[in-house]
Amino acid sequence: MKKEPIVSEAEHSGMIEIVLFKSDSCAFCPRAEEVVVETINDFGPGIFKLTIINVSENPEAAEEYGIFALPTVMIAGVSITGIPEPEMLMKMVLGAKVMMKKKSESS
Amino acid sequence: MSDYVIERVKTGIPGLDELIEGGFPKGDTILVAGKAGTGKSILATQFIYKGVTQYNEPGVLVTLEEPPRLIRRNMLRFGMDLQKLEKEGKISIVDLSPSKEATPATMVEYPSFDLSGLQAIILNHVKKINATRVVLDTLSIMAYKFRSRDILREEFFKLAANITRTGCTLLITSEIPAQEGGLGVFDMEAFLASGVIVLYNEKISDTSRSRSIEVLKLRGSKHSSRIHSMRITDEGIRVWPGEISPGS
Repeated sequence: MKKEPIVSEAEHSGMIEIVLFKSDSCAFCPRAEEVVVETINDFGPGIFKLTIINVSENPEAAEEYGIFALPTVMIAGVSITGIPEPEMLMKMVLGAKVMMKKKSESS
Repeated sequence: MSDYVIERVKTGIPGLDELIEGGFPKGDTILVAGKAGTGKSILATQFIYKGVTQYNEPGVLVTLEEPPRLIRRNMLRFGMDLQKLEKEGKISIVDLSPSKEATPATMVEYPSFDLSGLQAIILNHVKKINATRVVLDTLSIMAYKFRSRDILREEFFKLAANITRTGCTLLITSEIPAQEGGLGVFDMEAFLASGVIVLYNEKISDTSRSRSIEVLKLRGSKHSSRIHSMRITDEGIRVWPGEISPGS
C-alpha cells in the first residue's frame, strides 16, 4: 500500500506546509510548538498548514522522513533541529514561498 | 566468587563465543570498534542473521550509513539471505541511511533536542517483531549529522539504556578514524558499552594485511586477553580462538 505523503494538499492550495515532529518524552518540544504557533499566528490565517506529528504515537512518520532528533520543524524539504528561533523560521518560510513561486511559474 | 551465572546471548559467529564465555551478557550494550574495512558491519549483521537462523531470536538492524539494498546484496555473498528473513518477520532492517530521499536537509541545529525520535523508531520495530537483538550501524555517522556533541553523548546513554531495558542485547558499531587511537569519534564509546570488541586489519608486509579481533572488555566475563586471528570467509566472519594474530 502506498503511504500518503505528509506534505501534499497544502501545496495544491498554495499554503505553506509546516511539519513539527515532537514526542511525549521530549522536554524541548512544548516550547518549540509554542514558537511555531506564535510565528504562524503573526501572519494571519490561510497562509500556513501546520501538521504536528507525535512520534511516540506515529514512529512510522519519523522513520519515513529520517527524523532522529526532536523537536524538528520541517518546511519545504529543509529542517530545523531544536527549539527554533522565530527569525530562522521566518527565513525558512520566505525560502519556501520563493520555491513555491518558482514552481508555479514553471508549471 | 559466586556461582551466579549470567545469561548469555550467543553471537553464532564461529570462534567468537569461545572467547567470551559463550556469548554476550544478555541485555548489555556491546561496542564493535575498528577502522574502515575491518569487518564491523559484517560482524554486526551476522550477529542479527545468526540470531534468527541458529537461535530463533528476532533482530532489528538499524542502518545509519549503508542503504539496505546494499546490505542485502553484500550479505548474500556470504549465503545470508536477509530479505527472506525480513519477509518472515524475523528481521527488520530500519533504513535511516543518508540515501533516504524524504529526509529534509538540516538548515540549523539548536542545542535543545533529544534523540527520542530515533528511540521511538527503533522501539517500534523491536515491539513489532519481538526482537531481542538490536544493531546500530554505525554510531560514528551521528558525528556528521549533528554538531552538538555534548548532547549526543548524553543522548547515546539514554538511547542504549532504553533499548536494553526492553531485554534486547544492543550491538553498536563505531568507526575509528584512520590516523587516530581511541574507539571512535565521540571519545566516550568505551563508557557507553559494557563490552568492547576491536577489529583490526593491519599491514604486516608490503603485500599483505592480517585481520584480527580483540575482546578489550566484557564486564562479568572472563574473556580472552589475546588478539586472535579472524578471517572473512565465504560464510562471513570466522575467528580462530586458538590462533594468535601474527601482528600481535
